[in-house]
Amino acid sequence: MGLTGKISSGVLVLILLLSLAAPLIVPFDPDAIDLDSLRQPPSAKHLLGTDNKGRDILARLLYGGKISISISLFAVLISMTLGLAIGLVSGYGGGKIDAVLMSFVDLILSFPAFLLAIGISIILGEGIHTVMVALSAVGWASFARLVRGYVLSLKESAFIEAARSLGCSSSRIILVHLLPQCIPLALVMAGLKAGGYILTEAGLSFLGLGATPPTATWGSMISASRVFINSAPWMVFFPGIMIAVTAVCFNLLGDALKEKYDIRIDREF
Amino acid sequence: MKGFIIRKLLLTIPLLVGITFTTFSLIKALPGDPVYSIVGERSSPEIIEKIRKEIGPDKSIVGQYGGYIKLLMQGELGRSYFTNRRVSDEIRVKFPNTMRLAFASMLIAAPLGVFLGFIAAKKRGGAADRLITLLSVSGISMPVFWSGLLLMLLFSLRLKLLPPSGTGGIRYLLLPAITLSLPAIATLVRVTRVTVIDIMDTPFIRTARAKGITESGISTIHIFKNAMIPVITIIGLELGSYLNGAVLTETIFGWNGIGRYAMEGITKRDYPVVMGCLLVGTLVFIFMNLIVDIIYHYVDPRVRVHGTDR
Repeated sequence: MGLTGKISSGVLVLILLLSLAAPLIVPFDPDAIDLDSLRQPPSAKHLLGTDNKGRDILARLLYGGKISISISLFAVLISMTLGLAIGLVSGYGGGKIDAVLMSFVDLILSFPAFLLAIGISIILGEGIHTVMVALSAVGWASFARLVRGYVLSLKESAFIEAARSLGCSSSRIILVHLLPQCIPLALVMAGLKAGGYILTEAGLSFLGLGATPPTATWGSMISASRVFINSAPWMVFFPGIMIAVTAVCFNLLGDALKEKYDIRIDREF
Repeated sequence: MKGFIIRKLLLTIPLLVGITFTTFSLIKALPGDPVYSIVGERSSPEIIEKIRKEIGPDKSIVGQYGGYIKLLMQGELGRSYFTNRRVSDEIRVKFPNTMRLAFASMLIAAPLGVFLGFIAAKKRGGAADRLITLLSVSGISMPVFWSGLLLMLLFSLRLKLLPPSGTGGIRYLLLPAITLSLPAIATLVRVTRVTVIDIMDTPFIRTARAKGITESGISTIHIFKNAMIPVITIIGLELGSYLNGAVLTETIFGWNGIGRYAMEGITKRDYPVVMGCLLVGTLVFIFMNLIVDIIYHYVDPRVRVHGTDR
């Protein structure tokens, strides 16, 4: 993996470690309201300033990071598993199974992704799990589509032919021969998808469809501080930086993996 | 060509059934009486009765879905819980605004994105390429509601050059259009760059060079024309997604389009509004995809010859 790939995965690990170690790093409770220090600019005591309720922004960023990142990672894991399973079955099975599964995929892909995620979140009600479900319910389809296409191209290759003539069962061919071949593709997609999920999660919490207050997430922090943009810009600035840096790193990581495994993904997905 | 369009249109029908069935299921899944999820309790008894007749519990599920389709055919997307206005009327008023914003941002994004992508590809591996690539990765990674707020802070609140929010002429349009164009520029740069690099490696470019055609001639005639095909696709798809209402951007800048309307619906839990926007947005989206497919078919002879089942 190239230099950018290494740097971006390093930054991601750093952000994750800092978020997990938040209680050791900042002495403040992320939800503790302090009416004596409302909207203070960054200072030695509050490194990134405080918000409109006097809460320490650094603390909220780190605690919120744990939530935002784990939501995205879990959603990636779920969509990847679903996408692999359905893509493999559909691609290898072919025929009617393929037709049914792929028309379902087409249906989901024909919705504007963000609107569909909003619709699902509204029904499930706000909460961390809601966001995870909404992201994966929308996101698995493009995984499945790409995996299926790849499986179709592998299906005719000699090693699958050989396995079949040796008498391997379909499930053995899928699990032992095809699945490992799909892993690099799945990893590339996972990297790119994680970047997108960070943004979608932020968007959903910005709309108030994410974690319930006062729990901090990066998106909801921006949403709550919108009205103070002129008097306390740091309240908006820092959470956005965190979102952008994390998403950039995931995207660069995805690109680096793409180059490493020499995988082409047509169209942005 | 005609046969292709007709077949495409026919293929859209099962998709429409799927989409409406999904929104119907979402409405059924909402807490409370589905009738009130469509019109709200403040509606007149006649309207509530009319809706109940179509999708009420005394019908089978299939019958209820049929009733729902019938309501949609009559243009009945429901009534807002709070204003009691018809959602379809509101959307009709707001959609032109969304359209203006979508086209304005594409007007910024398309030339800029294609130009930068082209430069990056021509200087592949060089400093310009790396800078443009980094900028484009940042572009797709910045949340629009954040970049929008920062633009607003700089240009409206500090420099006082443009109004911070509202719907109106070009002065109001500029900031939201720029905000919305950022991710589109980034995507277009990526796609253009990859496409142009691919084309530069093909034998016909080498042939053109061997024939003694100038570099600029090769760029404009051979590369640019061929690169336009996937680029047009992306422009169409991005435009389609903007037309379904840029929820976040419109909200930030108070732009009176269907995106902000959807946002109002979300914050007030005004389900008919949200579901109406979801349905209309999706219809616009698949309509745009259809147009993209047809244009694609039209401009790329290769697709016409052997890729007919795209």
